[in-house]
Parts: sequence; C-alpha cells; structure tokens
Amino acid sequence: MIAFLIRCYPSSWRARYGDEFAALLEERPVGPFDVADILLGALDARRRSRGHAATLSSGRGFTMSLRIGGIAAILAGILWATSLVLASGTILEVDGIVTGLLLVAGAVTLLVALAGLSAFQARAHPLLSWVAFAVPAAGAVVSLVGVAGMTFVGDRPMVGDLSPWYIWVFGTLTVFLGSGLFAIVTYRTAALSRIAAITLGVGSVAVTLAVLIGAVGGVPEAIGIVLTLAGVVSFLVGWCALGVDAIRLDRISAAPRPA
Amino acid sequence: MESNLPEFGRFAEPSLLILVSLSDGPKHGYAIMQDVERGTGRPMGAGTLYAALARLEERGIIEALPPEDRRRPYRLTAIGATNLAEQLHRLSRFAQMGLRQLGETSP
Repeated sequence: MIAFLIRCYPSSWRARYGDEFAALLEERPVGPFDVADILLGALDARRRSRGHAATLSSGRGFTMSLRIGGIAAILAGILWATSLVLASGTILEVDGIVTGLLLVAGAVTLLVALAGLSAFQARAHPLLSWVAFAVPAAGAVVSLVGVAGMTFVGDRPMVGDLSPWYIWVFGTLTVFLGSGLFAIVTYRTAALSRIAAITLGVGSVAVTLAVLIGAVGGVPEAIGIVLTLAGVVSFLVGWCALGVDAIRLDRISAAPRPA
Repeated sequence: MESNLPEFGRFAEPSLLILVSLSDGPKHGYAIMQDVERGTGRPMGAGTLYAALARLEERGIIEALPPEDRRRPYRLTAIGATNLAEQLHRLSRFAQMGLRQLGETSP
C-alpha cells in the first residue's frame, strides 16, 4: 500500500522525498484519511512537477547568487574604500587613471554584489529588497557615467551645466544613501548578519554627512576628516562582513546532503 | 488578513503550524505531525505535511539536514525565523483586536 501511494507522486518528487516519506508512513498505520490526503498531495505534486524542475534550477541559481554576491561585496567594499581615499589625495598621490580604474571596478563589483545579495533577500521580502537594490545600483551606474565623462570629456559640461565630476559625486552620494537603504532592508529581513548591516548603515550615513558638511561648510575641517575616515572604514567593514556572511550561508546551503 | 505565504494557498495554515513546530529546534516529519496534533488537537496528514514542507524548502524558509537513518530533520532558516515572528505578531495583534471587540481582556 505504501509503495503504491508513493508511486502516485512524480519521479522527481520521489527522488527527493520518497525515502523519508516512506519512513514516515511506516511509523504509524495508514487510515482512509491518510490515503485521501496522500492522493491529494500526489495530485498537487504532479501539478507542480514542471515548476519543481524550475525551482531546483532556481535553487542552484540562488546559492550561486549568494556566492557571487558575497565575493563581489568584499571586493566592492575594498575597491570603493581604496578609490575614495585615493581620490581625496589626502594619503597618497597616484595617477588619475589608476583611481579612475579603481572607481570603475568598484562600481561594477558593487552592482554585482547588490544583484546577488538582493536576489537572496528577495526570497523573503521581494518589494523591499528590489527597491533597496535599485537605489544604490542607479547610483553606481551614474557614478560610472561620471568616471567615463571625466576620462573622455574632462572638465567641460556634460549634462546641462554639470561637469562629469558633479555627475560622479551625485552618483557616489546615491551609492552611499542607497547602501544605507540596503543596510536597513538587510537588517529588516535578517537574511544576512544584522551587525554587518548596522556597520554598513553607519558608514553610509557618516560618509553622506561628511560630504554634505563639506559642501555646506561652517564645520571645522577636522570633524569632516574624522567623519569621512570613520564612514569609509565602516562602509568597508560593513560590505566585507556582509560578503563573508553570504559566502558562509552559501557553503551551508551548498553542503552535500547524504541521499 | 495579509499572509506572509500568499502563494501557498491551502497550504498556508499547515505551513504556519510546521514553522511553529520547528521554532524550538530541528524535527523530522513524524515529530512535526505529533507536535501539530498535540498543539491543535487535529491531525495533519502526511500528504499535506510534505506538500507544505516542499514549498517551505523551495522558498528557503526551512532547510533539510542530513538524514538520521531514513528520517530527515528540517530546521528554520534565518529568513524562516523572521517570517514566523512576523506572522505570529500579526496573528497576535488580530487576536487582541478580536478580544477587545468582544469586550474581553487578554490574559
């Protein structure tokens, strides 16, 4: 009887759940209620069998997105922090091309990180997660346009009266504000480390404040420098910690399960 | 009332019962069924249990652990714990509202 009931399920379902399902049915007598319930369950599994194949494939994509997103988050944190410090020219004078390349690499890796981690978080809160993806991703794209403009247009106006530098600053500020939003959503979903999310959020707010203070003026320069450094370090640590946590979760999800 | 598992259809309620059962640690299917029957006074069929388990696993709300003999335990993921807490808070607020409207105070 048990073998017959299990054969009512599609083969893909039996391959995944068949053995444990048989073990469960052997633990207690199977009455008429159970038979009806199992037949309905088999019908449901057959109805969903085509979708099940798609889900298995999306499951592989899900762990892949975590791994790629995690690695990209670590790289993005390092690249953004390094390029911002170099762009400020306060610690080390380097060739503008090197800084530009770092900024481009930072923006691209941040886009990859946001896509990978958002795909993971969207499993629980799709709308929130994709809004939190859209803002910093848009900032990263605008920042890329600004860097390209600085390379090819120089100081001349690029959009209206705005020079590429202003476009880059606008994109970068959006990246920081968007990273703050991403941190809030990460904290809310609790899909990744909440401590990392708080660190990223603090870093995003601190850098944004430092830029605004610098633009408005009237605040001692030392406060601006301290706020910028604290923000950049916190931003770097936040993204790296989120990346490490994503890779750790990917390892757990991808761990082989005995048949 | 808004559900956190809208696409689960008729498996939304069994899914919630499974999540509550897993809230104090990993369990295999038979232990979940016993838990649910103890908690609600109603049995949960094996077909319903596994239809809900499959959906929860696909959504990353629960995850399977390595089998012990042929029985495979399941546990809540971080997303699952958040999801369950949100659902229980919402149900609690709904119950409080109902009790207030009946003129009864919550214990």
